[in-house]
Amino acid sequence: MDTKRKILNIIKKRILILDGATGTELQKRGYPGGICPEKWTIDHPDVLSSIYSDYCKAGSDIVFTSTFGANRLKLSEYNISDVVGTNKKLASLAKKAVTKNTFVAGDIGPTGHFIEPFGNIKFEEAVNIFKEQVKGLLEGGVDLFVIETMMDIQEARAALIAVKELTDSFTMVTMTFEKDGRTLNGTNPAAALITLQSLGADAFGCNCSTGPLGMLPFIESMKPLATIPLIAKPNAGLPKLLKGKTVFEMSPKDFAQSTKNIASAGANILGGCCGTTPKHIAHLEKILKNKKPQMPLKKSISALSSSKKSFILTENDPLKIIGERINPTGKKALQEELLNGKTSLIRSFAREQKEKGASLLDVNVGVPDIDEVKVLKDTINMLSIITDLPLVLDSSNIKALEKALRIYPGRALINSISGEKEKIEKLLPIAAKYGAMFILLPLTDKEIPATAIKRTKIIQSIYGHAKKLGFTKQDIVVDCLVMTVSSDPRSAIETLDTISWCRKTFKTKTVIGLSNVSFGMPQRKWINASFLSLAASRGLNMAIANPSLETFMNIKMASDVLLNKDPDASKYIQHFTDSKPLDKKEALVSTPEKNVSAAILEGNREEITEFISKALSTITPEELVNTYMIPSITKVGDLFEKKEYFLPQLIASAETMKKGFNYLQPLLKKSQKTNKSSSVILLATVRGDIHDIGKNIVALMLKNHGFKVIDLGKDVSTETILNKIRDNKPSIVGLSALMTTTMVNMKEVITQARKKGFKCHFIVGGAVVTNSYAKSIGAQYAKDGVEVVKAAKILIKNT
Amino acid sequence: MNQIKYFESIYIPLRKEKIYKRLGYNKHFTRIDEKQKNQLEDYFEEALLLLELKGAAKRILIEKNNTEKISLSGNISFESKKLANFLEGSSEVLIMGATAGKKIMESIVKDSTSDNLTRGVVFDAVASEMVDDCFLWMVNYFNTELRRENRQLTKRRFSAGYGDFELKNQKLIYNILELNKLDITLSNSFILIPEKSVTAVAGIINIE
Repeated sequence: MDTKRKILNIIKKRILILDGATGTELQKRGYPGGICPEKWTIDHPDVLSSIYSDYCKAGSDIVFTSTFGANRLKLSEYNISDVVGTNKKLASLAKKAVTKNTFVAGDIGPTGHFIEPFGNIKFEEAVNIFKEQVKGLLEGGVDLFVIETMMDIQEARAALIAVKELTDSFTMVTMTFEKDGRTLNGTNPAAALITLQSLGADAFGCNCSTGPLGMLPFIESMKPLATIPLIAKPNAGLPKLLKGKTVFEMSPKDFAQSTKNIASAGANILGGCCGTTPKHIAHLEKILKNKKPQMPLKKSISALSSSKKSFILTENDPLKIIGERINPTGKKALQEELLNGKTSLIRSFAREQKEKGASLLDVNVGVPDIDEVKVLKDTINMLSIITDLPLVLDSSNIKALEKALRIYPGRALINSISGEKEKIEKLLPIAAKYGAMFILLPLTDKEIPATAIKRTKIIQSIYGHAKKLGFTKQDIVVDCLVMTVSSDPRSAIETLDTISWCRKTFKTKTVIGLSNVSFGMPQRKWINASFLSLAASRGLNMAIANPSLETFMNIKMASDVLLNKDPDASKYIQHFTDSKPLDKKEALVSTPEKNVSAAILEGNREEITEFISKALSTITPEELVNTYMIPSITKVGDLFEKKEYFLPQLIASAETMKKGFNYLQPLLKKSQKTNKSSSVILLATVRGDIHDIGKNIVALMLKNHGFKVIDLGKDVSTETILNKIRDNKPSIVGLSALMTTTMVNMKEVITQARKKGFKCHFIVGGAVVTNSYAKSIGAQYAKDGVEVVKAAKILIKNT
Repeated sequence: MNQIKYFESIYIPLRKEKIYKRLGYNKHFTRIDEKQKNQLEDYFEEALLLLELKGAAKRILIEKNNTEKISLSGNISFESKKLANFLEGSSEVLIMGATAGKKIMESIVKDSTSDNLTRGVVFDAVASEMVDDCFLWMVNYFNTELRRENRQLTKRRFSAGYGDFELKNQKLIYNILELNKLDITLSNSFILIPEKSVTAVAGIINIE
């Protein structure tokens, strides 16, 4: 019986026990730190043997080789170049030290670098780095592999691909999730599980970072989705300060008791990480001896993932939308952008479609004369960083799809695999290798079948090929083929019948590209909407569409309610609440001038000029300003002081006021009424300081209250400020500084100004400035824009 | 060993509540309608697309701590009683630098001087919070490595410009981390540019 089968047989019968910490044990037994641990263990084989011996006695079924950092990048930090030899020696040492019933797992740890798209190591370089290590470990005779303490899903993928491309050995992968339930790169346990189990990991789980209590929810969240055994290797609790010393908090007994709960939650393989000792493992083995294991609950799962989160496709979920906009067909601007290597449109399409409710993003970069292999790869890398939605890889170029699948840091959906010979022979095995789901397109080299009956036969034929490669019906989504109703009046009915057959007979998920049905018809949106509703009623799971189309999304939301896929209609209600907010102005305000007030209060920059224009038919510009606008912006200041408004609201209102003022300015002059001349205020962020957003807010507020503001900008020298005071004779000078080191320059300005005999007032502010500091340098303090306005008014009045 | 480690793309989930708080939102008093909230959160999303969070860090051995001056290996020293006190009990330091990148700063400057100061202020808050969180991210990263050595980082950090740890030390930190490689420059007054760039020092202590 091979090792893989032996391990799987044990897992069926009982919990498999791993070892505890090696790094901390080495330190206890003499490793001095600061030198290469791998080299030190090779030079001190007895120490390593004693650790293995203790873990074997404690009951470990599997011990890890001491090769956590034995990859090219980490060894090179110690000028060690023989990666294969180092791994081989350490694997041999472990094999010699363990008892015959203990397996040795070749340990692969992180390189210490992040892999593209999250870091600067190229994906293929990472695969090759790990392959070198795998080769050495295989030569040393390891029984299985463990890829552990991974923080980057892409690095875990690279290591797993490296192992799988060299051996069929049982391979475990564990990642490190922080307290917030994500890796440092933002991957949650479910997403990591979906990605790595589909890529071929034989067991998956978590290690390090947290104790057993913190690890429990990770296992609980993964168990319902796992098709493979789950692993947990927690620390001995979290380090805490005890009598002046920092220690790991859990005793062996407490650790074992707590870790037992993880087994109850469904973990099949358990051990210990940092701070655990052979004693912890002995207690764990004892407590789990008669614990019945919980095998994976599923054999396969319809699930996709991005590098951040998972997407589970279940039968009774609301209809899911695959956003179709990242596709250059018929979009000249996008075509040009792709040809020029730009990404801004794709970024905005991704963002917009997510906002509008897409669950997945279709990505098609097919433009004539484009290097699709490169562009698709680059686009996938970029999208993997900016969106957490899983991607649908849409291309007819098999090489481009292969490259994209290799580097995509999640489980992708391929759009699509048909019954065409090339797709079956070339693309299907590639999809199987990378564990992707695929959209099954029921057409062949010979025909695009017009009837549902013909389509069902092709579906079964393609699935037959896929099954041989290990696919299940959970791994496919059938495209039910939408043809144009204007050229074949039965085409919509055939599509609907195909959906019904997939749902009721074949029992697989379905998708359609909706809009083709109405091609050539007038008022297409109504045909599309009706068709969507009918398809939903037959059990359609997904539609490829533009989620920004209001009619389409409204029908989707309504259909979900009617088909009991949104049982309490909460999503429906939310959708219409979000898209049609109550227009408070219309409801509460009846006159044009009151609309102007409301616009200022609400920060409605878009409509202020329109409201002013209407108000001027019944009121003079001066009356509008004095009776409605000034009181409104003053009220905004009051609301801000009472904390009923916060900063963005204050500024939005101020900007609305400014826009209104600018619009009124020529009219105010035209009216030729006397206007009290504005007081001049000079503003500057002092020398050495480049922070000026606070000063900009102050400038905006002052202008709105009728002051003439001269803004000198940031990092302004004392000399410049003094010259400007001399030239402009301001009533007030406002100085800003964010840092203690630059704050002192305020004093310099004021001292020099007084020496020169300037009589102006000074108001100072900024993050580190205090009232007492302001007083000490002969200035007035204001903590924000509202206070500056108040202070300025008082100072001017008293002048 | 102990080379500078660069992190070219740091992922930090957006913690909306922290941004709201930074902008002065008070859950007991502040009233905000759905439209304003949606607008704000659109700005959050836009800011995320502009952020280019990067970091650099280096572990350095403490050779001597005489309570007034910290001497590090490589002939590096910081004169600061407060820093020396903070590092009491530490055998090494981790020096860190992080930046939110140029793009977001360019957008903030543009917004601040044009007609969308509101967005500029929101971007500013998002960038400030996110770049601060880069330190937490790096601390978590290094703690995973350090735990294997039975060590961990101090929970608190110390930055140049606080107490008697003068801002001019930022020049030394800049050089140690070779922050030019992250497209950061240093002004004559020791301010990092782009503006949303920060540095800090943490201690490394033993777990017994």
